[in-house]
Amino acid sequence: MNGWMGKIVKINLDSMKQETVPISAEMRRQYLGGRGLGVKLYTELCHAQTDPFAADNALIFMTGPLTGTVLTSGRYQVVSRSPLTGTICDSSSGGSFGAVLKSAGLDGLVIRDRADHPVYLYVHDGEIEVRDASGLWGLNTQQTQKAVQEQTSAKTSVACIGPAGENRVLFAAIMNDKDRAAGRGGMGAVMGAKNLKAVAASGSQLVAISDPEGYKTLNTRIDRIVDKNPVTGKSLQVLGTSVLVNIINAHGMFPTENFRCGVFNDAEGISGEKIAETLLQRQSACYKCPIGCGRATKTRNKQGEGPEYETVWAFGAHLGISDLTAITEANYACNELGLDTITMGSTIGCAMELCETGAWKEKMRWGDAGKLLGWVEDTAYRRGIGAELALGSKRLAAKYGRPELAMQVKGMEIPAYDPRGAQGMALSYATSNRGGCHMRAYMISPEILGHPVFLDRFSTAGKAEIVALFQDISALVDSTVLCRFLQFAMGISTFTDMLRVVTGLDFSDNELMKIGRRVYTLERIFNNQAGFSRRDDTLPPRFFQEEFQTGSSRHRVVRLAEMLDNYYSVRGWDKDGVPLPQTLAELGL
Amino acid sequence: MVKFYALLRRRLDTQAVEIESDESSVLELLRLAEKKTGQNFLAELLDPEKKLLTGTMILVNGENIRLKQNLETRVRGGDTIDLFSPAGGG
Repeated sequence: MNGWMGKIVKINLDSMKQETVPISAEMRRQYLGGRGLGVKLYTELCHAQTDPFAADNALIFMTGPLTGTVLTSGRYQVVSRSPLTGTICDSSSGGSFGAVLKSAGLDGLVIRDRADHPVYLYVHDGEIEVRDASGLWGLNTQQTQKAVQEQTSAKTSVACIGPAGENRVLFAAIMNDKDRAAGRGGMGAVMGAKNLKAVAASGSQLVAISDPEGYKTLNTRIDRIVDKNPVTGKSLQVLGTSVLVNIINAHGMFPTENFRCGVFNDAEGISGEKIAETLLQRQSACYKCPIGCGRATKTRNKQGEGPEYETVWAFGAHLGISDLTAITEANYACNELGLDTITMGSTIGCAMELCETGAWKEKMRWGDAGKLLGWVEDTAYRRGIGAELALGSKRLAAKYGRPELAMQVKGMEIPAYDPRGAQGMALSYATSNRGGCHMRAYMISPEILGHPVFLDRFSTAGKAEIVALFQDISALVDSTVLCRFLQFAMGISTFTDMLRVVTGLDFSDNELMKIGRRVYTLERIFNNQAGFSRRDDTLPPRFFQEEFQTGSSRHRVVRLAEMLDNYYSVRGWDKDGVPLPQTLAELGL
Repeated sequence: MVKFYALLRRRLDTQAVEIESDESSVLELLRLAEKKTGQNFLAELLDPEKKLLTGTMILVNGENIRLKQNLETRVRGGDTIDLFSPAGGG
């Protein structure tokens, strides 16, 4: 078999029984791998009433047909039901773990049930060994990875949880290859609930390539395209993702103090340009990645990776903090403890506003950089106020009677682009099937950055069509599984070419887009069955009611009503956001 | 005031320049900025037809000139021009 390794194993952690999951050629063609095949398998194994922390919940690690082959192919996806949102969720991470899992002989791993004591899985030579992890329980993610490598091989790639996952913090991350994170949606907490400390892999199997000559030529072409593109070939390398700080701030949509303002006066001091001048030691790159957007940094006290754009915002402007060292060290702590930085920062910001309004009688104040690290650590261990922060913003704000102060969609915190500054991004957030996420349809690309074309950010015209298209492309790329940053440099036809030379399957561009649409719709069906509907495709009231008084997004509100019906129509869903029978038939669902 | 960001800032080694000008087009103002910095950067931002390259962002008081009259957008003394070379992230 070309592209795929041809083996997905299901393991039950109570009985330790293992079995191969049969995947038909038709299923591979319809879902590819990664997010797509992961979601398909999840929906066959679990249902909308499955408790994310119950033993019968499935946790699925998936690679794709392109994993371990072309540029940027070290990634993997984790699929399960999110304990934070209750939606189906996939979380993506870079590094090399995906490629190494395939070299160990597997396309994916389906994990069910709960071990009666802490364990880790060691995948090698197509086999899975269950090992005792009692001695690893309590270690942070860096210590865990090192310990597992000592017990296996220095070449082992390790995806693991830290204390936050063990303690089922609802936004616990899975960390791999030191500081790469499957961050969003609490996949680390699902892992912790299974008493599963780590999944480790090592091996030397090669991915079979259908057309080796074509593959070689195509890789050279892609390398040249990526290198020539000013974003992938230069900007991301030199300045990382935090180059966005000044850009988004200049557009008056850099969320400040829990989205109450769109301009952060100290943006320059936490920008990518500033990080490059001060903390940056060198760039870092994932497996076979010529871009190298990662930041290896050093403060006076510590060294590690980050901050990237979302994190510099979450611990910076969002909290009124301009101390770059404090932001960076909070980032390091999240990496070590295994926490999603976006939800962590956003929840602290929500808490600060709750305290300011008097709804919560704690002393969490804007700009208090000195306490930031303590709040992060307390959250991972559920100590003191950390036990409440560990719930995420939606539950916290509801508990103190001010649900509108949680800046979330479907329970997931909105990231670093205020939707009042980009109507397409607003629609993307509202209709995202894993909640407040920028990665389902990254409308910032056309509405702010001008890729691939420039769109008027304040217009709602035509945005429904483009959001749906971007959602489908994203679902497709997540199913191949490659890095989304490639999309700055190349369009769908290059992905078609890559799949052809690697798998030998002659997909058309339209067929690939249909795969994306199928995956997105299947996720929607699960969410509908779990009780999500049109009323959940919305944003916090702040974005409809409160206008900024300063900055270039001033006097704007989100005009979701102008786009939502059209979006459902474009998707082939009814007015409640439920896919119509003819849509299901067309997609083979 | 013309402010430089992203790679352009590093390339020019300048954060901003103040330009004395009553009223002009963005293009004219940027030519003055070239003189002031002593470096030719405009050619890097334009295609052979003298149109802005994809991804280049020029804001006048926070508004993208692509939504106005592009390089012919009028600017007055006291306006702020933010100039970003192509960039991206997530």
